[in-house]
Amino acid sequence: MNFEALLVAVLTFGCLFSVLTLSLNLQYARGGMINFGTVAYFAVGAYAYAIVTQEPPSGLDQYLIGLNGPWWLGFLVAGAGAAGFAILTGWPTLRLRGEYLALTTFAFAEVLHSFLLNERGIGNGSVGLANVERPGISWADVPDSYVFAAAALLLMLATIIVYRRILASPYGRAMDAVRDDEMAAEAVGKDVARMRFEVFVISAVPIGFAGALYAMITTLVSPDLFTAEVTFFVWIALVLGGERTMLGAVLGTIVLVTFQEVVRGIPFETVRSAQIAASVEHMLTGAIFVIILRWQIFERISIARSQPA
Amino acid sequence: MLKRSIHRISLVAATIISGAATVTHADEVTVGVLVPLTGELGEFGEIVANAVELGVAQVNAAGGTSCGMLRTVVADTGGNPELGIREATKMIEAEGAVALLGPTSGVMVALVDMAKRTETVVISPYAGTITLNELGGDFVYRTVSSDLGDGAASGLWLTERGYRTVAFLVQNEESTISPAQVARTKLENAGIELTDYVIYNPGQPSYQAELISVLANEPDAIYLAGGQESGVTVIKEATAGGFEGEWLFTADLAVPEIFDAAGAELLNGRAYVEFADADNSLPEYKAFESLHMDATGGEPGPFSANSFDMVNLVALSLESSGECSGTGINQTIRDVADGGEAVSSFAEGKAALAEGKDINYEGASGPLSFDESGTVSGSYSIQAAQEGQWVNVRFYPASAFE
Repeated sequence: MNFEALLVAVLTFGCLFSVLTLSLNLQYARGGMINFGTVAYFAVGAYAYAIVTQEPPSGLDQYLIGLNGPWWLGFLVAGAGAAGFAILTGWPTLRLRGEYLALTTFAFAEVLHSFLLNERGIGNGSVGLANVERPGISWADVPDSYVFAAAALLLMLATIIVYRRILASPYGRAMDAVRDDEMAAEAVGKDVARMRFEVFVISAVPIGFAGALYAMITTLVSPDLFTAEVTFFVWIALVLGGERTMLGAVLGTIVLVTFQEVVRGIPFETVRSAQIAASVEHMLTGAIFVIILRWQIFERISIARSQPA
Repeated sequence: MLKRSIHRISLVAATIISGAATVTHADEVTVGVLVPLTGELGEFGEIVANAVELGVAQVNAAGGTSCGMLRTVVADTGGNPELGIREATKMIEAEGAVALLGPTSGVMVALVDMAKRTETVVISPYAGTITLNELGGDFVYRTVSSDLGDGAASGLWLTERGYRTVAFLVQNEESTISPAQVARTKLENAGIELTDYVIYNPGQPSYQAELISVLANEPDAIYLAGGQESGVTVIKEATAGGFEGEWLFTADLAVPEIFDAAGAELLNGRAYVEFADADNSLPEYKAFESLHMDATGGEPGPFSANSFDMVNLVALSLESSGECSGTGINQTIRDVADGGEAVSSFAEGKAALAEGKDINYEGASGPLSFDESGTVSGSYSIQAAQEGQWVNVRFYPASAFE
């Protein structure tokens, strides 16, 4: 196994998905909103990036719009698109609480998935958009994979800084007040509905950016990539890491990604061993979850390291 | 307590890592086998991977290439493009693979960009997707013809059978929609009535809703372009719903497992399957068949010959270019496949190259000459379900579509 390649993969996907976990952490642990549709905002970001940067349709393409814009425009539109989708879905749903909100957000994500799959004019339906443009950034001899790992790391750090600032401000304290006791917060003059809506929309923006970065890395967007599995992955990462701390959210995600990459990073030279590994991976994943949750390793580390921010 | 848990985890990690395979030696050249071993196409992935292993064993038995013995690394994509990209990245960057063999259509399309960027040759034995008709040709090749040919063969068969009405049930995937569109055009041109053209999403517990209108129109035949999981449910539900006509399936259902899964009694005598197939009368195919029988004890499965050919093409290209890289293969693969002295095995080709001759590899799956998009022209078989197995009933050589 090549440890350098492993490290780059873990850094890239670990940081990228950490952005999702951090946003979910903000929505759930601080805003008290159970969002089971995280993948939808991620998909909107990726598709928005692809549509803005894609060349106009030709030949066998079935999509209708390709703006052939520069990558940075695509990136910005991805964030705006995710925020837009959050406004669209947040407005009618955020009056719901607890599991009702969870179900509605999940349903919205499924509707979007179905829409992308069947509405072939958006992104070629089930075929997806292949060869999504990558920004032509090259620093001397640094390989692309390192550039993207650095970009993912930067995006994650930027997300952490912004969320920290929000949470440390009076606005953050108001959020905590709303989560702890809505009625009390309302009694002292906080507009609860509006706050929940704002948090929901703000936290969707980094998810959109992450979607754009993901599209650049895989150079492909297709409905297959944006299933409920992504949402569950992020939730598992959040649970593993322990809610309420940013460090926990990041650690949980990175451990989950590392585990996947290590198992898949083992080169198998025969068909039989690759087949066995494919089946054993799931069993091992389950066993490790049980171990981590039994001793709550990451929650202890994060709480010991930092007070809940 | 915490220390102990960490200790245990590191123990688990150490066990995993110690299972890792050996590091590439200088006298080896690595080829990645990127196939679905799980999921809907798992059975095909296994056939392909085994045929590749057989090919690699043959090449190595003949002394390997001038770049060294072929070494394979195998990974499961589950047919998922993202996994495919991640596994491919690892094969190229960490294992130094010069070629990736065996991706399915969706994964193949996703890899086009990476293949060109990393200068790694990607070859598929079954990715018929018409998207590659535009994207393929440079670093991206296939030893199977495009889906358009599959559609044409299906259309030809449906017309020949003399059906008056046909319904189409097509899984919402590119590999099933593109041939269906071609078959549909063929039928319309032949004046056959198309009662329904239903595109359905796989993964549903039931397809009753899709079948209501199809069955109400009582078509003579149903053309079912679906995966194994959805296909089996559709077959069972249509029969339960009173469908008494005939079936034509596409390649995904051309496996013997379908008789156990759907029930042989539902298929015998009334189901047919169309798939890209090697010309069984060719001596190259017969040689491969007997080799396969000796090595595995069974007959070659669908795309087995195409997979075997991929390995030989890669090995001969490495031998011919002398440059042990993806670029080397990309530069010579067309020359090796076409023009020069006809050879039908790696050993023959190696000997001819050593004498300084140009070679023309005649594969087990056909003559193999790549067109502009890196695609070969192909022949097709129709098999019928008889007594719980698929039996050849019709063969369309490549010339049938000219």
